[in-house]
Amino acid sequence: MSENSKSTWIFGILTCVFTCLTIYFVRSPKLFPHEYKEPIVPPSHLAGIPSGTIRISAAQLVKSGADVSGLDCYSCHDPKHPPVIKLDKEGQVILPKEHIDLIYSMRNCDECHSADKGYKIQYNPDGSTIIPKAHQDLTKMAHGKTFKNNNCYNCHNENQLNTLHSSVGTKLTFDQATQLCAGCHGTIYEDWLAGAHGRTEGYWDHSKGPARKQECASCHDPHAPAFTGIIPMPGPHLLHPEDAPKAVHP
Amino acid sequence: MADLNTEEGMTRRSFLRATTAATAGAAALTSALAPLQKLDDFPSVDEFIQKHYTELSPEQLSAVLKRIENEVQKQYGIRPHVRALKPMNGVEYVYALNLSRCCGCRKCVHACVAENNQSRSPEIQYIRVLKMPNDGTFDLERGDHNYNPESVPVPGHFFMPIQCHHCKNPPCVKVCPVKATWQEPDGITVIDYNWCIGCRYCEAACPYFARRFNFTEPSIPKDKINPNMSYLGNRPRHKGVMEKCHFCVQRTREGRYPACLEACPTGSRKFGNVLDPESEVSYILKNKRVMVLKEELGTLPRFFYYFDI
Repeated sequence: MSENSKSTWIFGILTCVFTCLTIYFVRSPKLFPHEYKEPIVPPSHLAGIPSGTIRISAAQLVKSGADVSGLDCYSCHDPKHPPVIKLDKEGQVILPKEHIDLIYSMRNCDECHSADKGYKIQYNPDGSTIIPKAHQDLTKMAHGKTFKNNNCYNCHNENQLNTLHSSVGTKLTFDQATQLCAGCHGTIYEDWLAGAHGRTEGYWDHSKGPARKQECASCHDPHAPAFTGIIPMPGPHLLHPEDAPKAVHP
Repeated sequence: MADLNTEEGMTRRSFLRATTAATAGAAALTSALAPLQKLDDFPSVDEFIQKHYTELSPEQLSAVLKRIENEVQKQYGIRPHVRALKPMNGVEYVYALNLSRCCGCRKCVHACVAENNQSRSPEIQYIRVLKMPNDGTFDLERGDHNYNPESVPVPGHFFMPIQCHHCKNPPCVKVCPVKATWQEPDGITVIDYNWCIGCRYCEAACPYFARRFNFTEPSIPKDKINPNMSYLGNRPRHKGVMEKCHFCVQRTREGRYPACLEACPTGSRKFGNVLDPESEVSYILKNKRVMVLKEELGTLPRFFYYFDI
């Protein structure tokens, strides 16, 4: 083989390698993520849902790299007879009404209703799921800015829902809930002990009377502890109200 | 023509002229003094000769408190309990307000109005809440007093309530020409409403816009009167005197929290004795990021703002 044809081969191979690398990087979803479309949910379905719950679509969840391992469709659906996925005219998945909150807040039926516990899901005559009354307010779950703390058994005792357990497994009653909160919110608990967090009433001078402190759950809803907005009371009386008739110089 | 003013006596003409002038003069004087007939709020003799609060003997003070109770009962039909609580030994009050938690709901403003018998029309408010842009500024010129959104808090803003800071170096006390306002040993700057002459120098001197003036006779509905009163605190004021926050002296000097603190739904307001190392304000001053407003003026306020998020 002549020197010339040898270098032609080498250049050819290198060109192929670089072309392949270029194609690989251009197609890599890390560099060029594909456009995604959120599943279509009719706005009428979202209307009645409390705005306290932070919502995220399944597509956004996957894209953000969040842990979706717990999102198990087949904890409810029979794997041998998977549900028929309905698509709209544009080819988007139509989420059924009863899944809007379940998927969006990443809550699983299996968490409480695993197959061995024997709770059967019941359906309306039109095929929609009957959501029991006790579960209506689950849509309000918004403890923290992630979904990780929206799981019932983080705080409630699995075998006895009207008791609590701390992060180290100590059994607590509802009256001792503040101890449970202290497990995660230690700095705020210290402030609260010192009187620097939360509402107080009564006496600053403890020799004259008690200062009544509020427990955590007296002010914060444990399922959605962040305060929602309140209506402000009236402001100062204006000397020259904006809607007053303007004086006109004669 | 005969001289009108002869030594012989008064002529008919001079008599008529003098009588007319005298009648006209009397009529003019009567009409000029007529508004005095409508005056019914003359101070009583006792009130007029009353001494300065700090110079009253215990007997005189109890007589003054009795007189004020009678006045309030006459005006509002309710028998109040007016006291003159003295500062406690070893107590210096400090207020701390959490700017991270205040949501701007103005509940403190209206609890203060109800507790301290402020005039409702025109309404006098000791606390002003400023809506401030949350971009790192403390430029009070950019604050808005008159915000009225549908709900608070408002994203991108924080709220800063301002009331009397009870400065350790108070400009308002320095400028008062009659010593009607002074600082008590427990740190509360008070006003003797009977001694104030209404010159409003203190209002101009205060860098925190804490003082209010009664331009008109205060009007309080009879069913809204708080009967637990104190001389230096929340007894009803007259037209023409200054008033301001006094840390609810009728409550705090008997060991209770101020009304604004108890009304705050977020627990942003903290109050106590800074000389007690176990008090919550001592804890806040030790452990939190604390600031005072207009520190550069050297007023040394006893009102601290802090952050904890």
